[in-house]
Amino acid sequence: MSDINSTNPRTLGRGICIITGASKGFGQALAYQVSRSLEPRSVLLLVARSGPLLQEMKEELQSATEEQQLVVHCVAVDLRTKEGVDETVRVARQEAVDEIEHVLLINNAASLGDIAKFETFTNPDEVNSYLSLNVSSPLALTAGILKLCPCRLGLRWSVVNLSSMFALQALPSWVLYCTAKAARNMMFSVLAKEQQHVKVLSYSPGPMDTDMQKEILRLTNVNHNPMPCHESAAKLMKLLLDNNFSSGAHLDFFDV
Amino acid sequence: MEIKGSDITQLVHGAENMSSSQRKDLGRALCIITGASRGFGRTVARELSRLVKPGSVLILTARSEENLRSLEVELAGSEAGKSGLLVQCVPADLAQMAGLQSVVSASRAAFSEHIDHVILVNNAASLGDVSRFTSSFTDMAEVDSYLSLNVTSCLCLTARLLQALPPRSGLCRSVVNITSLCALQPFKSWALYCTGKAAREMMFKVLAAEEPDLRVLSYAPGPLDTEMQSVARSSTADPDLKKTFSDMFSSGQLLTCEASCAKLMKLLLEDSFTSGAHIDVFDL
Repeated sequence: MSDINSTNPRTLGRGICIITGASKGFGQALAYQVSRSLEPRSVLLLVARSGPLLQEMKEELQSATEEQQLVVHCVAVDLRTKEGVDETVRVARQEAVDEIEHVLLINNAASLGDIAKFETFTNPDEVNSYLSLNVSSPLALTAGILKLCPCRLGLRWSVVNLSSMFALQALPSWVLYCTAKAARNMMFSVLAKEQQHVKVLSYSPGPMDTDMQKEILRLTNVNHNPMPCHESAAKLMKLLLDNNFSSGAHLDFFDV
Repeated sequence: MEIKGSDITQLVHGAENMSSSQRKDLGRALCIITGASRGFGRTVARELSRLVKPGSVLILTARSEENLRSLEVELAGSEAGKSGLLVQCVPADLAQMAGLQSVVSASRAAFSEHIDHVILVNNAASLGDVSRFTSSFTDMAEVDSYLSLNVTSCLCLTARLLQALPPRSGLCRSVVNITSLCALQPFKSWALYCTGKAAREMMFKVLAAEEPDLRVLSYAPGPLDTEMQSVARSSTADPDLKKTFSDMFSSGQLLTCEASCAKLMKLLLEDSFTSGAHIDVFDL
């Protein structure tokens, strides 16, 4: 009898996948691709502020994955708040049944922040608010999700940090964005070092055709030749399916 | 072409630089030192007081008024103090707007046309709870509070001071970020500290890239014999890291603040570092 695994396409297993910033852009593109790679009776949590956009996605996804019995939850919350993070963890915990083989968290939600000279950042409220969404929130959410279920044999844990080349390279006028991405890169590196059973990946997706990129163009007049989101999402999918990356690695779309 | 007096001073200064490998002093300076009440910051204040010319001003800030006052008295009674060094204490919580404003106001008031060097030493920092691992930080407020002190206050203070003490001909402006190996390498159970230091490292690299006339230095002082180190060796959750600290302490490998500070002073006097660079005490 032939090995069933050699004839089946690779999958992410029967999993619970949480994607933040799922209502548009990269998060949305990734949600569609992830949904196709999850085994039957998997759970997909779409987290974003916009309830209506998430609901639309849920309907599309559920009709596209009818046979798969994919369970889709919309978690319409503001991840800048403790309540938002706690609610996301609560819904995830509810769905994390014993038969789950894979917990996959995609920390994608982020904001650009003001692009302006360093000297202009004189207001601590603005900086604190920015760091709270872009650094504190993914840390608290990741910590909450990692407590979802006890570690056991056969349970795979994957945590993705949506990063940027600007986590590694300073860019004038981009102090908020660079600082937060550098902070996240280190934060997830510490996590990777501490937890041998959790695979952590910092993925830099490259410039994509998103609202964030439109904002970048508007503020800086620089066109970065963005690609369609699904192209970069496909590369992240391959990395997750191959599962060969070193935990804690920082990988860029253009390097892979 | 108009040649200003200050241009000539710079030319002569430059010529002096060429003949000896470093300046003998840091000029008539306005120095702002955060976390000046104890540990490395206190030592920086002392060492800077010895290297600046009469007419210089030290603005010392920290939360502890008592410790700042005792340092102020010590410096006022020192040789530098007796030859015209002004020392001003500004007790302040830099994570609060009012705290930032009071340091900036004091600095602006102390800034005169005679000052030829502004030196900001961003030293104030906290360790964060090293007795726990990354997956325990489920409380956003705790992380927000940590970042507020270690990242935001540093960014906003630096931004405000750069605005309040703007560039002018003949004025050198130096910004020091007291960093750590933790800015470059992850350490188990040190999530907050590593994250804060990595954030600051990038922050100051952006500043250096934006302002080529600013002298920006991220200086890692090494393992120092301070209260922060004492907490590190008693509380660190990761057993290997904890042992490393204990061993360093018991085998006398911790550096004194004075020994490390001397290297920082040398870097400032030589003034040949690449702006934005990370330099570790052990690199020298």
